Amino acid sequence: MDADRIRAHLDPIRHEFADPRSLVMPALKFAQTEKGHLTREDMAAVAEATGYSPSFIESVASFYDRLYTRPVGNRVVSVCVTLSCMLRGADEVWDALCEHEGVDHHHGGTSADGRITIQEAQCLGYCDKGACIQVDAEETKGPYTPEEAVKLVEELREAPTPAELWR
Amino acid sequence: MAEYAPVDLTVENQVEFELDGRRVAAPAGTMLADACYAHGVEIPIFCYEPRIGPPIGACRMCLVEVEGMRGLQTACSTPVAPDMVVRTTTDAVKEAQDGVLEVLLANHPLDCPVCDKGGECPLQDRTFKFGPGTSRYVEPKRHQPKPLNLSHRIALDRERCISCFRCVRFSQEVAQDGELTMQERGARSEITTFSGDPYRGRFSGNIIDVCPVGALTSIPYRFVSRPWDVQNTPSVCGLCPVGCNTELTVREGRTKRVTGRPEPNPAVEEGWLCDTGRWAYDASWSQARITAAVVREATGDRTATLEDAVDGAAALLRGRTAGILVGTAATVEEAGIAADLAGGALPGAVVARMGIPGGALAPLRALPGAQLGDVDDADLVVVAGGDPSAQQPVAELRLRKARRFGATVTGCGPRPHALEALGTFIRTAPGDLAAGVASLAEAIAAATRPVVMWDEADLAGEPAAAEALAAAIAANPAARQLELGAEVNGSGLRALGLPDAGAVLDAVRAGTVDALLLVHADPLDAPGRAAWDAALEGFAGPVIAIASHADATTERADLVLPALTMWEQEGTLVSMNGRVQRLRPGARGPEGAAAGWELLVALAHRLGVVPGYRTAAAAFRAVTAGRPAFAGITPEAAGVLGVPLAAPAQVAGASAPPPASGEGVPLVATRTVYGGAAARRSAALADTAAPAELRMAPDTAAAHWVNDGDRVVLRSSSGESGRLTVRVGDGLPEGVVFAPLGAPGSPTEGVLPADMAPVLVRVARVEAG
Amino acid sequence: MPILNSVYRHREAGRPLTELAAYREAGGYKALESVLGETDADDLQYAFVRSGLRGRGGAGFPMGRKASFLPKDSRLPKYVVCNADESEPGTFKDREIMEMNPFQLLEGLTLAGYAIGAVRGYIYIRGEYEHQARVLDAAVRAAREAGFLGKDLLRSGFDYDITVYRGAGAYICGEETALLESLEGKRGQPRLKPPFPAVAGLYGSPTLINNVETLTALPPIVTRGADWYAALGPEKSPGTKLFSISGHVVRPGNYEIVLGDTTLRELIFEHAGGLREGRRVKAVWVGGSSVPVIGEEHLDTPLDYESLQGIGTALGSGGCIVMDDSGCIVRACLRLASFYRHESCGKCSPCREGTSWFERILQRMVDGDGRMEDFELLESLFRRVSGKTLCPLADGAIAPIRSAIKLFRDDFIRVCQEGSPRPEPMLPASVG
Ligand SMILES: Cc1cc2nc3c(=O)[nH]c(=O)nc-3n(C[C@H](O)[C@H](O)[C@H](O)COP(=O)(O)O)c2cc1C
Ligand code: SF4
Ligand code: FES
Repeated sequence: MDADRIRAHLDPIRHEFADPRSLVMPALKFAQTEKGHLTREDMAAVAEATGYSPSFIESVASFYDRLYTRPVGNRVVSVCVTLSCMLRGADEVWDALCEHEGVDHHHGGTSADGRITIQEAQCLGYCDKGACIQVDAEETKGPYTPEEAVKLVEELREAPTPAELWR
Repeated sequence: MAEYAPVDLTVENQVEFELDGRRVAAPAGTMLADACYAHGVEIPIFCYEPRIGPPIGACRMCLVEVEGMRGLQTACSTPVAPDMVVRTTTDAVKEAQDGVLEVLLANHPLDCPVCDKGGECPLQDRTFKFGPGTSRYVEPKRHQPKPLNLSHRIALDRERCISCFRCVRFSQEVAQDGELTMQERGARSEITTFSGDPYRGRFSGNIIDVCPVGALTSIPYRFVSRPWDVQNTPSVCGLCPVGCNTELTVREGRTKRVTGRPEPNPAVEEGWLCDTGRWAYDASWSQARITAAVVREATGDRTATLEDAVDGAAALLRGRTAGILVGTAATVEEAGIAADLAGGALPGAVVARMGIPGGALAPLRALPGAQLGDVDDADLVVVAGGDPSAQQPVAELRLRKARRFGATVTGCGPRPHALEALGTFIRTAPGDLAAGVASLAEAIAAATRPVVMWDEADLAGEPAAAEALAAAIAANPAARQLELGAEVNGSGLRALGLPDAGAVLDAVRAGTVDALLLVHADPLDAPGRAAWDAALEGFAGPVIAIASHADATTERADLVLPALTMWEQEGTLVSMNGRVQRLRPGARGPEGAAAGWELLVALAHRLGVVPGYRTAAAAFRAVTAGRPAFAGITPEAAGVLGVPLAAPAQVAGASAPPPASGEGVPLVATRTVYGGAAARRSAALADTAAPAELRMAPDTAAAHWVNDGDRVVLRSSSGESGRLTVRVGDGLPEGVVFAPLGAPGSPTEGVLPADMAPVLVRVARVEAG
Repeated sequence: MPILNSVYRHREAGRPLTELAAYREAGGYKALESVLGETDADDLQYAFVRSGLRGRGGAGFPMGRKASFLPKDSRLPKYVVCNADESEPGTFKDREIMEMNPFQLLEGLTLAGYAIGAVRGYIYIRGEYEHQARVLDAAVRAAREAGFLGKDLLRSGFDYDITVYRGAGAYICGEETALLESLEGKRGQPRLKPPFPAVAGLYGSPTLINNVETLTALPPIVTRGADWYAALGPEKSPGTKLFSISGHVVRPGNYEIVLGDTTLRELIFEHAGGLREGRRVKAVWVGGSSVPVIGEEHLDTPLDYESLQGIGTALGSGGCIVMDDSGCIVRACLRLASFYRHESCGKCSPCREGTSWFERILQRMVDGDGRMEDFELLESLFRRVSGKTLCPLADGAIAPIRSAIKLFRDDFIRVCQEGSPRPEPMLPASVG
């Protein structure tokens, strides 16, 4: 994403912050919407648009779980594996999804066709709906059985991404 | 490296508190870690580095017990308070120290025997002193890819990093280069640059000094030596006029490393060095190093022993009237002995110094002066002309620090430069610095503790601006001036009363001298080179050069006496702020070479006049005797941290340069220390060598019919330049062109007059880009 | 079913109040209207003090007292920051408030702003709550249009607006100073205290930070009176509290109880529908995952700050995680250890290195490679790390494990020798 677009996105909220550094996070989140993750060029553009060094921008981006400095699949499926969800079968859901997408059972990963990334999430705040799953950064739902979870990724695989829909 | 902030236990109104049962005192606001250290109690620290900035409390190594406070407190961030009761050796404290070291060592490799830091490593030392005996960590250690190069000069071994944040805070807060940051999170945190790009910075080497473990090491120093088979010697950097205090690490007679001083000089560099000062030492054994005397004869060059060469030099000089030219990096001793020759061994000799005449600067220099350290507590810092980052690098760090401490920074000048981002700067047209100065007068008058930094070269070229600036400073009794000098030992040579090079040049032209002795002087690579070229063209007398490296002048000389470099010899340099500081010999230098001052003494002997001194210290006393600037200053008094001159280093004569004549576009030249002359000789710095570029704005380029990438030469009334590559850039002022001094091959020097007075140049394209 | 004595209007009304009109109808913005221009800011602060309301984010610090720490004569602008980072495992009460009752939070945040003379309120919401953030965005717009936010609110001369700021996934940003760092656009790493946020918080300005639930309780305190609130529950723990209950219970969810009135047993067995057939309570983390774990013997403890402290645990965030006897305590501890290792920010050494080490040891135990000396080692590491870190995250990592080893030592010894087979989970299907 280019710096001008990021600037245009930030202009309406600039006045809300006494220090422009606060715009770094909104800028990063916005820049990520284009490709689903932040490329070197995206981070350089955020640096340009906000006036901080690219290294600083990358240091911020890399701190947060939901900012991706490495490529991810078209859809990101985050499986909550923290205690409450674990007690309600999160590990089974996780294993079923890793198996189904052919990714590493320890770290998750992106399916060979590049459409689905399976990743662990820490408590998503939907413990009452455990085992819960968040799709992209949008929506969390549950409870899922392993079979339902597999059905979900199959649907996601076919469905257009929000970005595709928007185009 | 300095780890604790110096604490002044003598100032009034100290806060009394109890330290391990003793009643002690420290100034209010002092952090416990510093206060304890001042009273002989070492609190172990890792993240705390008072020079970098306020404490961050990250490593948790400094925990102590403070009565009445819940839990242990970090001594690095707890200020002393009246009647505070502090305990540093209780079981709880010991357990905490043990605990922090245990977790830090859990994943730290046990490769001390092959680590460059081994033997001088705070982590190692503190583990011996405060740490656990054995490790209870049985898990496999975290592995990281093997050391990688953070730049051509710095290696990073991630496994050794203890995430103390010192290096990233140095980069972000002290150098403010924005390059190095901590990325990722938790145990995966790692220090890195943007996408792993090379670390580009002018001060990057300081991160090696501040790293408390062997995670950051100097590539040229890797595996070179161990702390127990080296000697460390405190010295001074002789590459620019700032005069940073350094520590030379020497092994087997060679300089293996230059670092900031463990006890930094707060008045000058505060322990920080620029990368040039840190890594240029390998110039000592570069290709261009002169390792043996050269005698140039009709049949060709031959090398000679030092004995024979000095005899030869004496023979060439005997009975002649010599012109003696002293280079700007020559020490006080060398310059002083050279001047002495005129009164004895070489009667009637004309002795002069290279560098800017600067007669017009007298009123400025007469005003109360500041040392760089004084910038810390200024409320206003004015930068008149110049480009400190390029010309006096470490001054940049002091300026940034002042800004961090809340000072207002402002200034004026003809060059766009890196420090302009720190405040409001007025861009002046070349030759019209006076206008900029006028607009600053009000701010100087209104400030409580202003420090006005002024650029020697720029103000020498514009006497009207110098006069106006002096008046503006004088109008505020609290204001102090700080000279941003152009030459390494300019102040020292002036303090000895040497006239400017014009005296020798005129004598050569007039034929009143018939021999030439050059002491670390290379007029053929310096501004005014065209004039010297012409003058030497028809000069029939012998030319004798005392020099450490081959240059245009040694090429021309009939006899070259190989001299030691600043890393190898004893001597005294006076910084741009008039600080008298001593070079101490670290390395031995090549077999066939000797210190410049020794060569001069030997020459005097051969010429039959035996000087009354045989050591550098005695020479210093002798040659400075009767010089008011040096009154009361002895080598002993200068000590390790140096002392300011007793009186400003003034020169006689009001030799105001003539205004720029001829036709063409004004040239603004900047001396580049980073990437300049030193980079040319040092393999470690080779990649930093600043290209010989002529920069200009688009319309200016159009007006001169040149494009980006064209190769051009400049012509002025003073001469012709070497080839420069045109760089067209936005953000540059129109109607002026910019070029570096000290670029490899010294191309720009050719168009400048010896006094660095403003010039107009014509731009001629010789090759399309 | 409407709830008696509810502090939250959507619960009282028994339906979501995401439209301004609906919220108004349910009594919304009466508090602000009654205060603006009528009540002195100091009096309002005093009402908060008298209500006895304690912070619901975890530490339970009295809200009114905290507001009173802000300097009155500061030349810097002041801010209120609402901590909506809700990332404590087992906690999802703020989520309910934000998605069902956003206006009451806005009203509470505005009241707090008025009480301290703030110029702006920020809601720092965890990045994963995108849906809730959108609900808040819409509510802020609606409130602004209706004149409840913006310039000269209700013609009282008070200017105040609210910004919803999204985090991007980091538990540590719930810690107040890390939150401020994050809100300032940096890595969310805690700051040294002092200075406390009340003195130097957001952008170095005096800042009041409170949890969503805390701020949302303010409007009823104004309309019904501080005394009404103070009279609910025990003297030192007045008011109602939302408990999030999850894990091995039949009806996981949020339940609002009057503090001190309900026991843990009632919460689990009456409100949350109890356990599966034939199962017994094994372990309960009653106030989120950062509190010491308790066992069956403590089920009859009343839920309030003091009583829970009395049995060696804490009310914390009210995120109550229940594990029945099908679960393995060592596995549960390992899972929490992984959580804290993942979330440690890496700034201070004991936490960064310690949390990794804890996880490694527990992993070995679960794999059946535990050694007897590991118990001593863990206890010694806990002693060396706890209370010595920059922020309390590491303490939160230690409390549940340390207490579990004490309480369930036999299970640990068995697992060390035999390892821990993965237990049968409580799948949704079996809940019915
Ligand atoms: C590691 C850590 C995580 C925290 N997470 C949260 C959180 O998610 N939400 C919250 O309101 N408070 C959280 N807190 C507590 C806050 O630091 C702070 O005490 C609270 O926001 C104050 O609000 P209150 O007084 O209304 O409870 C956390 C504290 C720590 C140490
Ligand atoms: S590399 Fe050295 S200075 Fe930098 S964080 Fe690691 S230990 Fe500290
Ligand atoms: S030196 Fe005090 S915490 Fe690091």
